[in-house]
Amino acid sequence: MAADSAPKVIFEHDGVFIQPSSDEDGIEQDLLFSGSLRIVDKYGEIMLEYKPLEDTVDSSSMLCAGKDSSSVVEWAQCPGDKPQLLETQQSYETEWDMINAVSFKKKPCTNGEGSLNHSNERSRWAFSFSLSDLRSVTVKEEGWSILHFKLIESSSSPPALHFHQGGSREFLDSLRRFALLSESPDDATCLLVSTPNKALSQSFENLMDDNNYTLAGKLRREPYLTTMGGFSKVTNYLFDVIRGTEEHQQRPPEEVADLLGEIIPGLEINQQEEPGFEVITRVDLGTRPQVRRREPLSAEEWTKHQDQEGRMLNVPHLKHLIFKGGLCHALRKEVWKFLLGYFPWNSTLEERKVLHRAKTDEYFKMKLQWKSVSEEQEKRNSRLRDYRSLIEKDVNRTDRTNRFYEGIDNPGLVLLHDILMTYCMFDFDLGYVQGMSDLLSPILYVMENEVDAFWCFVSFMDQMHQNFEEQMQGMKTQLIQLSTLLRLLDLSFWNYLESQDSGYLYFCFRWLLIRFKRELSFQDVLRLWEVMWTDLPCQNFHLLVCCAILDSEKQKIMEENYGFNEILKHINELSMKLDIEEILQKSEGIGLQIRRCKDLPNSISSILGFDREARGSDPTDPESPPTVRAPCRQQDANGCSNGHGHLRENSHNNSCKVAFIS
Amino acid sequence: MTTKTSLLKVILLGDGGVGKSSIMNRYVTNKFDAHLFHTIGVEFLNKDLEVDGHQVTLQIWDTAGQERFRSLRTPFYRGSDCCLLTFSVDDNQSFLNLGNWKKEFIYYADVKEPEKFPFVVLGNKLDVTERQVSAEEAQRWCQESGDFPYYETSAKDATNVAVAFEEAVRRVLAMDERTDHLIPTDTVKLHRKPRSATTCCS
Repeated sequence: MAADSAPKVIFEHDGVFIQPSSDEDGIEQDLLFSGSLRIVDKYGEIMLEYKPLEDTVDSSSMLCAGKDSSSVVEWAQCPGDKPQLLETQQSYETEWDMINAVSFKKKPCTNGEGSLNHSNERSRWAFSFSLSDLRSVTVKEEGWSILHFKLIESSSSPPALHFHQGGSREFLDSLRRFALLSESPDDATCLLVSTPNKALSQSFENLMDDNNYTLAGKLRREPYLTTMGGFSKVTNYLFDVIRGTEEHQQRPPEEVADLLGEIIPGLEINQQEEPGFEVITRVDLGTRPQVRRREPLSAEEWTKHQDQEGRMLNVPHLKHLIFKGGLCHALRKEVWKFLLGYFPWNSTLEERKVLHRAKTDEYFKMKLQWKSVSEEQEKRNSRLRDYRSLIEKDVNRTDRTNRFYEGIDNPGLVLLHDILMTYCMFDFDLGYVQGMSDLLSPILYVMENEVDAFWCFVSFMDQMHQNFEEQMQGMKTQLIQLSTLLRLLDLSFWNYLESQDSGYLYFCFRWLLIRFKRELSFQDVLRLWEVMWTDLPCQNFHLLVCCAILDSEKQKIMEENYGFNEILKHINELSMKLDIEEILQKSEGIGLQIRRCKDLPNSISSILGFDREARGSDPTDPESPPTVRAPCRQQDANGCSNGHGHLRENSHNNSCKVAFIS
Repeated sequence: MTTKTSLLKVILLGDGGVGKSSIMNRYVTNKFDAHLFHTIGVEFLNKDLEVDGHQVTLQIWDTAGQERFRSLRTPFYRGSDCCLLTFSVDDNQSFLNLGNWKKEFIYYADVKEPEKFPFVVLGNKLDVTERQVSAEEAQRWCQESGDFPYYETSAKDATNVAVAFEEAVRRVLAMDERTDHLIPTDTVKLHRKPRSATTCCS
């Protein structure tokens, strides 16, 4: 099960020169070595490696040793490329071992010492270090760029790199993907490096990227994982303390920024145009407006919005009413089909009948596909077998106290099973993933019809698809976005969570994966979902729902000084204790509060879709046309309206540039 | 007056639907719910017990069993003192997967000496009549994989559940006496992150 993978070269640039210092080694003054600079992702640890050009070594087949030298790993030129194992493997390996040993921290060993044929004058100057060890980079311009590195816990520094053939900007840009580079307050040419706040991008890489694990040397690059282990074991107490201080050294700018944000009122945020940069800041959000919710939409109001042929009229207003109050239960069966996009709002009754017939055919064709697989065939189809096995197990464990699914031979269970199996044929790549039965159950309960439930489920899955994909990209995106929002809304709480290594909000995982399905009573889930499906008052409203719940729990968490485990436990145990109307009221208030803010950072605007609205229409205005929900699938992430398309950008935005404007 | 309490982290691993959550709930709350939801994400419960004169707080972690969620559960493996490999006696596939679970655990938990790590194997759903895995088969696997203790349990009727957890504790305590766990509770708050003055920012 353990994934094997080769280190990934993230950046590579040849023609980077070093000038060995002359005094101690007696090397000629003007001697320059040309070499290759790389940023390599070694199982989640970002390494900077410099290697002088060696005629005898073919870099495409180089092998390098892991940090602890015990695990020799292959350096794949590009991901997926099978690295060639040369007969000379041993010598390369040894050479890289030597390079590890001959680090800048120590005095380079003399030539005479090495009996290795490759250890010539040049290879002495190879060096590599972990990005997490880097304290700062100073950029000098002398017609070309020269980068000076300073390391944490090291008095000596690696030699300066001279970018005679360009590439320094690209190099720094690549670094920014993994670290926060912020200008030093004293020296504008000096960029302080800190691992991005652990809560964000890098943590997610570590947390979620299976390729990032190796047995060796995890401690430094997975600090919070280590800490999690540490929490659970008193034996790690001492280790944690040590690590804590070390970590503190690694990320001063960020903490300084946050601290300053706390101390200096009115500290402003400034948004840079340059992509990948965003200024950490504190925005004055003003007071949170009180909002009132309405009664659920009645059947009478609904029919008032329908013309003779069954077309829905004044849809924005209708959606607004649904957002404000939800639907009375009797309407759900009809209205959900529109909300989920199964029925177009402007379709006539007649058109919907035709559509329904076609969709019924389509459904049963797919259903027949898995129904007609013989036992023999299934023996040879492990994926189908696995899907079926898990669906059977999970159907038996989904909402069994609900009257629709209770008892042993409830027809609701068969429908749940059959729809999930048919969905596997609809999207065999995704198949069945745990959590999907939770998403289907309320829909089937409302539809009371296999075909309608299936197609409504398909529409809902369109929105939720990324949550369930192999890489769980949707989950990563949402956790990052939520963290970004929370930081804006409540910096002190966000800081607290960070201090408890919970800044990456893992404890919200279940909320996000299945949209609060397990947190609320069944009836409240119906209410929340129909409100969310209006796409009002902004994109990603469900993240504001998260913020609202967290806002209510913040006091308890901080006063009780909950640590990582206790926060997780506390949040898990909120299940079935939440009041939906209160939450919706607060979420809407938070949405208004943010919308009224004048100097909103771009990252926030794009998460909530304000930037898109500015170009289009204001969805809060009941008179304006509705926002269009683009079909959101993995292959079209940029075009989708639920914010997934902003992922890359946002995760980069987390590499923040700190600027203080008083 | 200092009682010594060990905090032991135990993790339940095994295929989806073998009864991990049910075993945990049976042990901690002594309840069984046949229609319990399948676990999404990660949960844990604490249970205090005394084993051979040792006060122990058992922190039992329960995870989602589906392959897809591997990256979300594996970070929680670290720091485990014991791993309960669980299968269901009426599901041969879940038995065949035990080896994978063991591998996954060792890989991500960063176990220093895998051959010495205390695994305990649970064959759950003993109450079900149609067995697919015989006790002998399971015993043999445990023997061959590292002489792991094997218990046939039923979370439904509580058979062997407590016994299995107690054995897990014994195995952990027996491991090089584990003196490192025995820290007076009145000096250290359990599972609270120690914070040095320099990192404090709230």
